[in-house]
Amino acid sequence: MKGIKKDFTLFAILLIPIGVAINVVAGELVELLKVPLFLNQIGTMIVAMVAGPWVGAITGGVSKLIFGIFNPTQLAFMPVAMASGIVVGLLAKKGMTTKIWKVAITGFIVALVAILIATPTTVIVFGGASGTGSDALTAIVLASGKEIWTAVITQKIFIESIDKILSIFVAYMIVRKMSDQYLAKQNYGHFYINKKKAS
Amino acid sequence: MEKLRTFILNLYPTTKFFITLFLMITPLLLPGYLYSYLVPVLCLFIAMIAGKTKLFVDIVFKGLLSIVIMIFLLQAFFYPGDTILWTWKIFSIKQEGIDFSVQLTSKILAVGSAIVLFFQITKINDLARSLEILGVSPKATYVLSSALNIIPEMRMHLLRIMDAQKTRGVETEGNLRIRLKAFFPALTPLILSSFSSTDEKAITLESRAFTARTKKTSLHQLEKTKSDSVVRVLLLILFVFILIWRFFL
Amino acid sequence: MSGIEIRNLSYQYPTGSEKVLHNINLNIESGKFYAFVGVNGGGKTTLCNVIRGFIPHFFKGDISGEVLIDGKDVRDWDTSDLAQKMGFVFQNPFTQISGVKETVFDEIAFGLENLGVEVSVIKQKVQEIISLLGIGYIQDKNPNELSGGQKQRVALASIIVMEPDILIFDEPTSQLDPQGTEEIFKAIDIMKKKGKTIILVEHKIELIAEYADYVIVLQDGQIMRQGRTEDVLSHEDTQDYGIGLTQYTLLDLQMRKHNMITERIPITESDSIKVMKEWMSLQGVKA
Repeated sequence: MKGIKKDFTLFAILLIPIGVAINVVAGELVELLKVPLFLNQIGTMIVAMVAGPWVGAITGGVSKLIFGIFNPTQLAFMPVAMASGIVVGLLAKKGMTTKIWKVAITGFIVALVAILIATPTTVIVFGGASGTGSDALTAIVLASGKEIWTAVITQKIFIESIDKILSIFVAYMIVRKMSDQYLAKQNYGHFYINKKKAS
Repeated sequence: MEKLRTFILNLYPTTKFFITLFLMITPLLLPGYLYSYLVPVLCLFIAMIAGKTKLFVDIVFKGLLSIVIMIFLLQAFFYPGDTILWTWKIFSIKQEGIDFSVQLTSKILAVGSAIVLFFQITKINDLARSLEILGVSPKATYVLSSALNIIPEMRMHLLRIMDAQKTRGVETEGNLRIRLKAFFPALTPLILSSFSSTDEKAITLESRAFTARTKKTSLHQLEKTKSDSVVRVLLLILFVFILIWRFFL
Repeated sequence: MSGIEIRNLSYQYPTGSEKVLHNINLNIESGKFYAFVGVNGGGKTTLCNVIRGFIPHFFKGDISGEVLIDGKDVRDWDTSDLAQKMGFVFQNPFTQISGVKETVFDEIAFGLENLGVEVSVIKQKVQEIISLLGIGYIQDKNPNELSGGQKQRVALASIIVMEPDILIFDEPTSQLDPQGTEEIFKAIDIMKKKGKTIILVEHKIELIAEYADYVIVLQDGQIMRQGRTEDVLSHEDTQDYGIGLTQYTLLDLQMRKHNMITERIPITESDSIKVMKEWMSLQGVKA
């Protein structure tokens, strides 16, 4: 408990609204460009990487709350967004977001957790539907005679893994571009400081 | 009408929240779907009185309609059942699937439209203030208000970046790869510049005693009125009545 | 003891390889106006951040020496007491808004709300500051929608409304035209007359000559020269530190090179006129 509180410095708190706004604006941009993904948790992942899992979780949660103002079904997926923040943050603290291959592993784990949480939500709350074009995929699997759980999990595997892995790579590239001086002020920024310059 | 409008809009945020909660929970308590389908109509009615018809309808349609349709399509065709209503090649619509969809979508529409209504009749700043009065940390409400303030600014910033890129010849239309390629160069500078402002923001807030442990005051005055008590009592009576009717009669 | 005492202060940023402040010793007397001058990168802003306690509170790094505010180390101060004791306005006006207020009036009230001041008192104080700075015409506007210069005035108003004893201004006029700058200096002067201690980082030397009591010249993180404004700004070699002298001083210095010796070297317009008149009458020239 004390550890969680320690993460919420004024700097870290100020990252949250920016992470949230990035999620919202990136989500809108994806829609504008008609890309069939979400890419609306990049802000959450960046915040989780530099400020830790709990600050990341809040960023994800608040983002879904704000998405929910314009699309209430998004509120049901708040646990997915929060879990993404927590998983990225925990792995980042273990140094799992410092190299491309480590980022790839982190991406797989985040996608796995997202699939595990999003699937039951979609099946139980929304009868398997998501209201997006990817429902076609669910319908195809259903038509082949599989039951609803298999269909939804297949759809989530396709969508979530591409979405989450792409998102974490974007997040990683952006954190890499942050200045050392800026990173030094963040709770967990030291993982990304360019060692060559420091020594 | 004007009187009713101010009556609704001037209710205390938590009173509005209780109305929303009532509209969300009662459809889940009551059997059948008739009442549940009445809730969105009731929400629309309240939105109309509050002068928010267009926004309410827009959001309900955009946010909820597509999912309702998809639920009907998926469940009508693929829900296990034997009562076949209509068949085309290997696909058939079953009564059981329709029944399930009607039940499920009635609840989704009820809960969803109650939430939409809440955010349409409640100002976020009022909500934030009422949370502070309830003892929620001003840091938490700051995050919420600040995020909502940053979004429009960031949107404008993004449009400026994209305009600049278009003049430099970055394609934003075409196949998926081209569109994805437009995504990153637009987003990266936006994200970096937004984050880089946080250290000065911290200095600003610290200079304005934001982290002071003293009890804060606020120019934002929120008061509960007699209307709030009336609405709350009414909701409570209705709720108790429904509980008794549902579980004891 | 009242005022600010800086003893043997050195500081290095966590990611830097060199010290940005070297062994600074400085006494800041209560109720006086100090101007920090020097070329960019000389340590002025860093020194302001150390005095206000943002270094090492926010910005880590190696710090040695001490900064005493009223005899107590700045690191031992409670953050809310410190916010009330020292106001801080910096260069960039775009990040100096709270980001949660819908009107300029509410924005200026934010600091007082955080200090728990009674609502009626807040309203009165905010109104006073708005008239003092002549920004009544924007008081109902959204702070996000202001111009840079307007934001800068609002940032200043938001701090001075809290009535701190010490005011630190780090280039508060960067976005303002000469007239706007003059207005800000007049507002600062009013604060000084109310007995506030002023620390100002500024490049506009004419205004410093006019208003500041003391000038501190910083270069490469060291104090190269400090003293009363009229002494520092009348020395020809002050220019060696990248400081431009006022045109009045330069004129006098030129005259001296041609053996036209005035009684003293003026630094301001009014003093220059006085000195020149005296000199001319001594020379027998009719003014």
